Amino acid sequence: MTDLARRTLLGAAAVLAAPALARAQRAGTVTAAIYPGAWEEAFREHVAPPLKRQSNIELEMQGVFAVDQIAKFAASRGAPPFDVFVLDPGPRITGLDRGMYEKFDPSRLTNRAALPNFLVDEWGVGCAAQVVGIAYNPKKVPKPAGYADLLKDPWVSRLGITGFGTTFGTVSLIELAKVFGGSETNIEPALAELKKVLPRIAAVGAPAAMPGLFQQGQCDVMYTNTQTVTTLKDRGVDIEFAVPSTGATAFFTTLHIAKGSDKIDNAYKYIDTVVSRQVQDALQKAPYNFVPVNKEVPLGAGLPMKSLDEMSRFVTHDWAKINPLRGAWIERFNREMAK
Amino acid sequence: MARRRSVGDLSYIAIIGLLAAIALIVLVGPILIVLATSFTDSRSIRFPPQGFSFRWYELLLDEVRSRQIHRAAGNTLQVAAIAASLATLLGTMAALAVARGAGRVGRLADAFFMSPLVLPGLAFGLAALVYFTLLELRPSLELLVIGHFIVITPFILRTVGASLSQLDPALLEASRSLGAGRFRTFRRVTLPLIWPGIAAGAFLAFMASVDNVPVSLFLSSARTDMLPIRMWGMMESTLDVRVAAVSGLLILFAFILMLVMERLTGLTRRMRG
Amino acid sequence: MRSAWGLAAPLGLAYAAFFVAPLLMLFVVSFYADEGMTRFGTEQWQRFLFDAFHWKVIGDTLLLGVKTMLATILLGLPLALVYREASPFWQRVLLFIVVMPLLTSVVVRTFAWIVILGREGVVNQLVLGLGLAAEPLRLLQTELGLVISLTQIEMPLLLLPVLSVMARIDPNLIDASASLGAGRWRTLVRVILPLAAPGIAAGCVLVFASSTTAFISQSVIGGGRLVYLPAMIWQQTMVAAHWPFAATAAIALLVSVSAVIAVIAYAGRIAAGRVEMPAHG
Repeated sequence: MTDLARRTLLGAAAVLAAPALARAQRAGTVTAAIYPGAWEEAFREHVAPPLKRQSNIELEMQGVFAVDQIAKFAASRGAPPFDVFVLDPGPRITGLDRGMYEKFDPSRLTNRAALPNFLVDEWGVGCAAQVVGIAYNPKKVPKPAGYADLLKDPWVSRLGITGFGTTFGTVSLIELAKVFGGSETNIEPALAELKKVLPRIAAVGAPAAMPGLFQQGQCDVMYTNTQTVTTLKDRGVDIEFAVPSTGATAFFTTLHIAKGSDKIDNAYKYIDTVVSRQVQDALQKAPYNFVPVNKEVPLGAGLPMKSLDEMSRFVTHDWAKINPLRGAWIERFNREMAK
Repeated sequence: MARRRSVGDLSYIAIIGLLAAIALIVLVGPILIVLATSFTDSRSIRFPPQGFSFRWYELLLDEVRSRQIHRAAGNTLQVAAIAASLATLLGTMAALAVARGAGRVGRLADAFFMSPLVLPGLAFGLAALVYFTLLELRPSLELLVIGHFIVITPFILRTVGASLSQLDPALLEASRSLGAGRFRTFRRVTLPLIWPGIAAGAFLAFMASVDNVPVSLFLSSARTDMLPIRMWGMMESTLDVRVAAVSGLLILFAFILMLVMERLTGLTRRMRG
Repeated sequence: MRSAWGLAAPLGLAYAAFFVAPLLMLFVVSFYADEGMTRFGTEQWQRFLFDAFHWKVIGDTLLLGVKTMLATILLGLPLALVYREASPFWQRVLLFIVVMPLLTSVVVRTFAWIVILGREGVVNQLVLGLGLAAEPLRLLQTELGLVISLTQIEMPLLLLPVLSVMARIDPNLIDASASLGAGRWRTLVRVILPLAAPGIAAGCVLVFASSTTAFISQSVIGGGRLVYLPAMIWQQTMVAAHWPFAATAAIALLVSVSAVIAVIAYAGRIAAGRVEMPAHG
């Protein structure tokens, strides 16, 4: 055969052999779902190295929001796309209902004692708290007092909004609805008010796109969580967090092991690492400013509370009521916001 | 009569020339802008870039900090190499058959094999996801290879087909009349004449796989991350400046490869087929 | 030449197993009545076809393709005309410039436009700097911005077939037209365009097909208010995990895009038929 043909065959053979070789050399791995953006960066920097060092496990992460994780797991039909979920309260309940988790044994965590009891149960464990409020650019707009302000001048023309695809979007829109007479189960007032000012709103985007839009100056005020604010601030963006007059919303984020995962031991080690004191301490510091759940780690200064117990004063929602309605809300938002 | 023609001609030259110039700027400008922003010293992506530094390239090449990007790039290159090899082999064979098959059947076959290029890639990507999942196959690099192979084969068919159509049948007849069998004729006469077309097609197919979004969108997962999808994630959520650096590298890579292919095969001539 | 088709068999089998079968499966899945895919029914089709919003989405998607197609023709044809009259060296350079963007990923090209069209991007810097406007222009998250970006992203797809057809136009025909007294505009319309029509039609088809399914560009540049079919398909597959409905939307995309492509191809054939061509394949 010709030179070219021979070389091509050899090359092809080498390329085909490569994946097999790669697989043989890899250390233990675990694939974890992680929220895109600040969470992914924070975990890459502070969770992956200790996990590798202490347990020789490579952490692979897939950036997926909580609702999407449930959807992906459901779509995968028995072959979980990742080994560990990271979920907000609403999707957590959905996952429970649909039997998506492996039974969780907290005693397998070496750091179990450092976690508050209310954050640990037979299905998973809390790993961080999230606080949702309003973010604004202090150089471009004055500090808004609450959600109602978002629809008024001078904020409305610089407002960026997103829909019900994520927890922070959902709770913010619910709070907005409450201001205009709605409730946890009735978000129509929010949509009606938004529709009125829609032509003037600066940006409507997917939840993952919001930080980027703020960073590029497409919008200067939006509802989001404290993590996004601190991450953007660290990048030199002018941004501050404002606690709405109706109260900041708080919820806990939990980790669960996916049913059908073949890396359960590694998953336990990963969860153990995430809630360990060193990691929680590192995550709590700038620029990520996570709200730690490990009792031995003090809360950061920039947060609107001094201890986890204070969070009981914050606004919370009944996700069992919200979940069944959310799918329809997602579509409603699309429709109302479409030009 | 002469005056009328010159006014019309002047307006033609002015308008067509202006539009063509705009077209060139529009074509090339964004690429250059991306390259420029990748050298920024600041953490935000702006043009003109603030400062000049290689820091984003350094960060990008950092094994530890950019591990996920490296894996995505590795996956992408692997899939592209295998898919392009498959496409080249099967596509060349099919192009030979189509070139010989005349008339309606030949044209139908050609249209059929070229159809992945024209049908919406997104629909095919979803179809592939549904198909493989219902066959109980986990997402993997192998499935990505198959998906990519389908959508890149038309490139091979086009360039090899063009090469074959420029082949002088007299040469083949001469070879036969000198006693060479079919395979020998192929090996000694046809193949050397069309190999630039094959190489050009393989190159285009490879690049098409590297750049492919619709199929990777549906078939990739955490364990089989692909570069364009990862870049999209980096673009959306954190506007990581490393996107600019990756883009810069991709542009450089494409430019160098094009120069090489141009020297080796006269690529631009092949594509006019 | 029966054995010639034996060579095409491997590819044919691969296509049958991995191209035709999945598409057929997609068609079948769209006829599942529920999300869990337990029983058949036409619910998803009814849900899709009986809702005016979905028709609006289809219309917007096709319209986006048409607008992009026209914009690429407006800019690309003049470039092709210049190419025709250029020396071989410059022709190679032009072709190089045209092919380069194609080799950089769609994501790279989309990203470039964020930098250009943003509130503090290149265009606004120019506009504000030259005093052409008092306020920054809103280009991102608008259809205008999206069409502009897609024009650059898709133009190479138009140009490749058009350039190749332009290069093959017999210069004698042009000379004959000129010597018969036709001005350049007239030559363009009566001689060049009909001869180039097959290439232009082919390019239009590629541009239309590509721009209607450019999901990432539509989503990143167009924003949340511009809803097109690709975004719907993506959402239904990945967020709502409602495969039957996603399949329905995907098939709607396939059918509508193919229909328009057929029209474009037919128009191309008509335009070309007005001039007798020397023996071509």
